[in-house]
Amino acid sequence: MATGPAISISVLSKSFGPVQALDRLDLTVPAGEVHGFLGPNGSGKTTTIRVLLGLLRADAGEVTLLGRDPWRDAVALHGRLAYVPGDVTLWPGITGGEVIDFLGRMRGGLDRRRRDRLLEMFDLDPSRKARTYSKGNRQKVALIAGLASDAPLLLLDEPTSGLDPLMESVFQQCIQDMRQDGRTVLLSSHILAEVEALCDRVSIIRLGRRVETGTLAELRHLTRTSITVETSEPLTGITGLAGVHDAVLEDHRARFDVDTARLDEVVRRLAPLGVRSLTSTPPTLEEMFLRHYGDEATPS
Amino acid sequence: MTGTIGLLRFMLRRERRGLPWWLLGATALLYVQSLQSQKLYGTAEALANLRRTIGGNSAVIAMSGPTPLLQSIGGEIVFEIFAFVAIVVALMSMFLVGRQTRGDEEAGRAELIRSVRVGRRAPTAAALLLAVVADANAGFLVFCAATLTGLPADGSLLLGLAVIATGLVFAALTAVAAQLFENVRAVYGAVGFLLGAAYALRAAGDTGNGALSWLSPIGWGQRTFPYAGDRWWPLLIPLVVSALLVMLAAALLDRRDFGAGLVPSRPGRSTASPALGNAFGLAWRLQRTALVSWVCGLALLGAGYGSVANSIEQYVEDNPEIMQFLPGGGRSVLDAYLALTLGLSALVAAAYGVTSVLRLHAEETSGRAEPVLATRTSRLAWLAGHLSVALAGTALALAAIGGGLGLAYALTVSDPSQVPRLAGAALTYLPAVWLIAAVAVLTVGWKPRAAAAVSWIAVAYCVVVGLFAESFDLPGWAQRASPFAHTPQVPLEPLSVTPLLTIGLVAAVLTTAGYAGLRRRDIGP
Repeated sequence: MATGPAISISVLSKSFGPVQALDRLDLTVPAGEVHGFLGPNGSGKTTTIRVLLGLLRADAGEVTLLGRDPWRDAVALHGRLAYVPGDVTLWPGITGGEVIDFLGRMRGGLDRRRRDRLLEMFDLDPSRKARTYSKGNRQKVALIAGLASDAPLLLLDEPTSGLDPLMESVFQQCIQDMRQDGRTVLLSSHILAEVEALCDRVSIIRLGRRVETGTLAELRHLTRTSITVETSEPLTGITGLAGVHDAVLEDHRARFDVDTARLDEVVRRLAPLGVRSLTSTPPTLEEMFLRHYGDEATPS
Repeated sequence: MTGTIGLLRFMLRRERRGLPWWLLGATALLYVQSLQSQKLYGTAEALANLRRTIGGNSAVIAMSGPTPLLQSIGGEIVFEIFAFVAIVVALMSMFLVGRQTRGDEEAGRAELIRSVRVGRRAPTAAALLLAVVADANAGFLVFCAATLTGLPADGSLLLGLAVIATGLVFAALTAVAAQLFENVRAVYGAVGFLLGAAYALRAAGDTGNGALSWLSPIGWGQRTFPYAGDRWWPLLIPLVVSALLVMLAAALLDRRDFGAGLVPSRPGRSTASPALGNAFGLAWRLQRTALVSWVCGLALLGAGYGSVANSIEQYVEDNPEIMQFLPGGGRSVLDAYLALTLGLSALVAAAYGVTSVLRLHAEETSGRAEPVLATRTSRLAWLAGHLSVALAGTALALAAIGGGLGLAYALTVSDPSQVPRLAGAALTYLPAVWLIAAVAVLTVGWKPRAAAAVSWIAVAYCVVVGLFAESFDLPGWAQRASPFAHTPQVPLEPLSVTPLLTIGLVAAVLTTAGYAGLRRRDIGP
């Protein structure tokens, strides 16, 4: 079972009436990986996860989860995965502790020690009725219910929306522990710092299609590095170089962005000019994100 | 109070769909009762007969009102229907005020409102004004219905004002309860309890020396005696009480924090009981309060019918026109009455069955089904959990109807064997009730968006066929489409098993078909 990828999606399409939610989506998550699933609101992240849960039936395409079909074998698979929704609604008259226990039992048992430890870590009062919880506390209930399981696969759909930074770091610690244990995590998010801190690889989805996938290092390769340089010789010929953008030149100083793939050429060109100082800022996921969604230019 | 009028307009807009139905319901009650009573007791002689029969029957008085009303035909109408019109208007006022005050506060919507240029008291003031507008409309429509059916204008005006006054008391009570409790369900629970107490107090007062009726808002309205003396001064009591309650609500409102109540919500269990470990446990936990309420309500309804069963023969003798409403052409008046009331109550049990099945749909659209179905719970188990509550719950509801009917009747005739006899008779309707629940399952499985509409239309259809088939002159096939028409009307008719098995089989097929749909379709809010 552990031989194939934990999640394998190819050319998955799903539409709701006239709305094309997923359009030939591909996504592969090897077992044991923490995979970031990034995309703006409405890009199809939640639809993908619902297909993986067998709640929605795919219109077209192949989907396997732990080697099995999530639509046909939903119940058997659900014993081996834990799911945390991003928008948690609970039963108003039932306490948080009861919800955690109930979902744990329905998943096939839960580790009481881990449950109690998580309650403490997330600082949640389990004896309060769900109607009295704030959004953050409802989110904690769903998170604890999911994290308390020892399922080999976790599907997390924007699991930290509504959590404060302190709880966010508790969550990150939990995911690090899961990585240590060799469990697979699909983490849908639009909090880039979280993804940068946790994920081995990242897929970016937009309008129901995957637009990028790879390790953070690989993705950075597709992006630009910001360079500030000061040289002893006057700087000439920089603006004309392929891959250099938005250059601001004074005679001995320059600030510009360079396609990370062409960084080498540009640095070779600078070296003979006598570099006095050089700072380079690696691209953040934020910038990658902005490049994909900020402007209308879709990479294809 | 800044912003009250703007909020009132907004609230009227939010309530524009539901409100007309409440008003229509209250008006229709009076309109139908007025036509029917004038037909049956229109002559002085018939009315005198009725006074004689009912004057000594405390069960009828307990269900209706004080006997001095029976002096005129208009008073007779008020006697029979006022308490129920008052209950409808009281519930309308309660839901309006509760939803717009504590309901919004609990859901967090009120926070948005209060963050703009709106005073602290404005939402409560606007909700109360909304209730005033709604109650005034109800009173006016009742006045119109009464005068249109030929009743004197003076008494009709007093009747309309009495309806308004009763509504206002419950609107003000709800405003107070909304300050006390943190969630709107507790508010409805408390006000609903007081409404039940108001009905019970006037029942005790009307059958006794009348003193207790003066503690009941419904009693205040009835004791204006419209068309039977036209006393105006009792209207002052509800007006003064409402004003005092509104002042109390305002005082409480000024002393509490936003979102808080004076009765803090109690903490619950921090771990789940062993019962909450599968789909059945969850469905039972979610539905048990509703089930218990329906069963108690239906037992009371049955007991109400049962308490007058013993005097039904005398009543029919005095009022032979009533025969046309009884099935069986009067072979056995008593059995005909028992069969009729069982059939009517069974329709209410069917309504319960539909609410129970529609819980599935509510769970799905609210997003709460998703985390459950993301565990090892199959769709079949999820369906079976809620459906088992619906099926067992309707059986319990029918047994409660028959048990209540039997118990009340058994007490009046000192014959305990009536309890199992009538409880068993009520269960004859189980296949028909299950069939309606199965229609709900079918629609939840295939057309979830239409589920509520289609299921309620099915219930309404059976009600219309059951109550008005003859009056509307419905064709035979239209009557035969209702499973209740195929159910033998025990104890009037002998029990025959074949139609029951057939209805049960259809119910099983529809349920299976519903599951087939549920298995195939997308699940999601």
